[in-house]
Amino acid sequence: MGDGEALEALMSRYASRIYRLAYGITRSAPDAEEVVQDVFLQIVNKGAGFEGRAALGSWIYRITTNVSLNKRRGKRRELETPLDELLPTFLPDGHRAGDRAFVVADWSSTPDRELLAGESRRLLEAAIDRLPAHYRAVLVLRDVEELSNEEVAEIVGDTVAAVKTRLHRARMALREQLTRDLRTGA
Amino acid sequence: MTCRDAIDILADYVDGAMPAELAAELERHLAGCEPCRAYLATYRKTGMLGAIAGRVDMPAEMQARLRRFLSEQLRRA
Repeated sequence: MGDGEALEALMSRYASRIYRLAYGITRSAPDAEEVVQDVFLQIVNKGAGFEGRAALGSWIYRITTNVSLNKRRGKRRELETPLDELLPTFLPDGHRAGDRAFVVADWSSTPDRELLAGESRRLLEAAIDRLPAHYRAVLVLRDVEELSNEEVAEIVGDTVAAVKTRLHRARMALREQLTRDLRTGA
Repeated sequence: MTCRDAIDILADYVDGAMPAELAAELERHLAGCEPCRAYLATYRKTGMLGAIAGRVDMPAEMQARLRRFLSEQLRRA
């Protein structure tokens, strides 16, 4: 197989995944495009020195995550909200704090097609934008790419426990924003 | 188990990574706690929505640009 064919095979296999992860972290199509180019450039430069097909996937995820997070540094951070403001709060006895109508609000039976269109979709995308980038990285790797906690820990260079905590906090922060927004129709 | 305890362990429950005994204890709490039932339902739904929203495709014109960019790089190499 020539270089061109080998690259075409890699593109078919990985370009969409790299873009999806890069976009998920940077939340910017032009930034994600630059990340994809950068990652493929590294693949080209690495040439025949790949660690083997099985390891290639996680290597690509790792490089894509690092390049995407580096690209995010100093950019659009004004959109991100401190996560502590988006986590559930509790009374001293361990019960949920907040007014009853809010803590029992359940919008989960709203059809997906309704939640993924129009104003609801805009609210969802804005809620994702507000998550810190390194939380979005874990969210995409786990919930979109469906990797295991162990695989994600290896990719982001952290412990499994830290990945689990970050994933849970990211999901809770998203849930909180959606509940506030969908309830008020903001 | 308090609501704080229950919400702390929801990720493992939703991901099916919880020991049966703890899951049973959580389910007993959920049976008697409307706020936690609402929390679990919306937490689960949030994960599904995030996953669907995250499945973005690389635009075709971007793929074409990438192909041109890489062909150029290979020619130079």
